[in-house]
Amino acid sequence: MTIKVQKEDVDIGALITAAKKHGTGAVVVFDGIVRDDDITEMELEAYEDVAVAEMEKIAAEATRLHNLLHVDIIHRIGRLSVGENILIIVVSAGHRPEAYAGSRYIIEEIKKSVPIWKKELTKDGGRWVPGEHGHGAGKPLKK
Amino acid sequence: MTVKVRFFARFRELLGTDILAEPGTGTAISTLVKDIAQHKKEGYDAIFDDNGAFREFVIVMRNGKRVEIPDAGKTVVADGDEIAVFPPVAGG
Repeated sequence: MTIKVQKEDVDIGALITAAKKHGTGAVVVFDGIVRDDDITEMELEAYEDVAVAEMEKIAAEATRLHNLLHVDIIHRIGRLSVGENILIIVVSAGHRPEAYAGSRYIIEEIKKSVPIWKKELTKDGGRWVPGEHGHGAGKPLKK
Repeated sequence: MTVKVRFFARFRELLGTDILAEPGTGTAISTLVKDIAQHKKEGYDAIFDDNGAFREFVIVMRNGKRVEIPDAGKTVVADGDEIAVFPPVAGG
């Protein structure tokens, strides 16, 4: 399991290969990318220690709930251009329902509780992307 | 005692971050943050409402653990603490 906040991009192919543990029947990859919303670049910032700890909790909970065999979560920070990877989630499971459900659980929980922020940079300056959940960060995961 | 205060995202742009404060014994989190934010009106107004209370969307952490807004006025800081203050998260 690899859980990281980092500036560098990742080799998704290598992550898929590593996710194929004994018993794997499905690997699901989520790749969130910088969308061309009339922006020049995107700047991402994290409260790194807390973000990694929170993603580790989410990965453990996803594994427990959905019988995952492997989880990687890599969230990038720094300045990213349109089309670049922001967030890569790779999960494997014995069957596709668990793999899809586990991947979906992880992305939705990240959006609720992991202290990372995005600023869209435009020709005229920039705008912080509003969070979807005001009260999520740092709260215990629902059982 | 020394306490580090970290602001993130828009709050960081307005107030800076990794601020080392030396509060007196018995200082509550809200008092500490208010003292720092008061130096810049725009930053203060982003975090506190007209009554001097944390705005309801503001997230406060002490040493990486969430402190509920109603508790921030009675939670006393200790030497070596790290207090983080930030707006709603928007990762993913």
